[in-house]
Amino acid sequence: MDERPAWSAQFAPDALRTLTPVPSLDEITAEWAWNRSTGAGVKVAIIDSGIDPGHEAVGRGISGYVAITDGPMGLLHDTEPHEDSYGHGTACAGIIRSIAPDCELYSVKVLGQRLTGRGTTFAAGLQWAIENGMDVCNVSMGTTKKNFFGLLHNLADRAYFQKTMLVTAANNMPVPSFPSLYASVISVASHEGLDDPHLFYYNPSPPVEFGAPGIDVRVAWADGGWITATGNSFAAPHITGIVAKILGKHPGLTLFQMKTILRALSANMPHAKPG
Amino acid sequence: MSGEGREREDLARAREEISGLRRRLAEERFAEELKDVLTLAASVGEISSPTSHSRLLEMIVQTAASVIPSRAASLFLIDEEAEELVFEVALGSKAEEVRKFRIPLGHGIAGLVAVSGQPMAISDARSDPRQAADIAQSVGYEPESILGVPLFYEEEVVGVLELLDREGAPSYSSADMATLGLFANQAAVAIEQSRARGNLAALLGEALGTPGGVPDHRREGLAEGARSFSDRIEEDAAHQRALELAALVREISRAGEEEHAACLAILEGFAGYLRSRPQERDDLGLGDFG
Repeated sequence: MDERPAWSAQFAPDALRTLTPVPSLDEITAEWAWNRSTGAGVKVAIIDSGIDPGHEAVGRGISGYVAITDGPMGLLHDTEPHEDSYGHGTACAGIIRSIAPDCELYSVKVLGQRLTGRGTTFAAGLQWAIENGMDVCNVSMGTTKKNFFGLLHNLADRAYFQKTMLVTAANNMPVPSFPSLYASVISVASHEGLDDPHLFYYNPSPPVEFGAPGIDVRVAWADGGWITATGNSFAAPHITGIVAKILGKHPGLTLFQMKTILRALSANMPHAKPG
Repeated sequence: MSGEGREREDLARAREEISGLRRRLAEERFAEELKDVLTLAASVGEISSPTSHSRLLEMIVQTAASVIPSRAASLFLIDEEAEELVFEVALGSKAEEVRKFRIPLGHGIAGLVAVSGQPMAISDARSDPRQAADIAQSVGYEPESILGVPLFYEEEVVGVLELLDREGAPSYSSADMATLGLFANQAAVAIEQSRARGNLAALLGEALGTPGGVPDHRREGLAEGARSFSDRIEEDAAHQRALELAALVREISRAGEEEHAACLAILEGFAGYLRSRPQERDDLGLGDFG
């Protein structure tokens, strides 16, 4: 039987926990948010096509691997080191490490060469990240299948409650893509301009809330190569890197505090103070 | 004539009448079934000739490559069973060679777009050997820039629309990506219609194969009738083409203001291009390469 939690017990005088103050919105600066942070101690999962650990852009190693496949016997979780099927995950890893060089990277490989079970392995990848205590999750992909809506919604809520921040790439195609359309994730699309990888915008008309560099970005690719690429897939890791950097300095923030901080630091804020 | 003879005659007539009635009933039932199938299909504008569908897809790809100036273009469909991409349309001077290939998923940008469902562009493809994939190398053509967008049918990625080598710009812009997305939608609608047509053919086949009390000798005749009926519909190409185009425009217009404006701009652009084109059908504005 389900053990029903006693919700009110949290607020009993001897259980009530003191909170860490967050400065008022006007006082949030890049200096406060991430200065001198390298993302050290922050666990970042990349749910993608794998990561090439030998690529120069990836830098310091990979802390953990899991490759999830959907076989005849059900889901398989292989935790042996793996490579990158396409270069896409390595591209994301390179961008994140260029912003948060000391974050701990976990490669959650769900994109292989097989089409079958894409939605299932993707959901299993998210579940793995939540259950293994990841702080941030880069999700430069999604599923368009409506029958995964509920499952992914539950996972996104679990991620929120557990402070695993899901940074998702919006899909520009006119098909709803999950989980990027949920309120419980940070949804990112591309903006023009490459001058500053820390420069991003806030969109007051969600679901896509943030714009980050994703057009003609020089990214790491398969077989140790580099490529110039365009796509929201490459915008999301910029925000993932920034989130990791902020969490490195301010562990324990909730997703909505993070969104508030990011909004305060966005370049379309009249008094934005760039880092 | 003896009473016995008359009796036999009456009996024979009765038998004939009964069997005639049976036949008519069977025919009617068959005709009803056939009518239902055709009405259903016609009511949703799904009957048209197969040639016009592949031509429509080709036109969509050609127009895309002309509106977003590109040296080559392809439309792939996913073969779910084989987990490969199959060329449905290939344009450019190497189109014939390229068409022979099937690409295993996991190769190049088209494969990545197919498995991720995300549009993507790259602009220095030649520096990365994997992007050119084996097809490009074996036909001696390696693109510099690539833009790929997924094709959605219902909620699934069913294919990829890809442009190669942007002309007049070093790489494909995000505006190009958005525009190609609109073409991908058009292609998806065309494929949807084409698949519905395939379903219709299967339905017709089923109806023709249904025993339903139709005697073999009659079924042959009915089958013939059904064939000529569907031929007549397919032959009425002008009507079908107009219907098809109208259905597409209606579908796009319903998608929203921006889509409506984009559709209008694309059609105007294509009409203008047709007007300005030399008499002979050329390589459809795609430059020569290789």
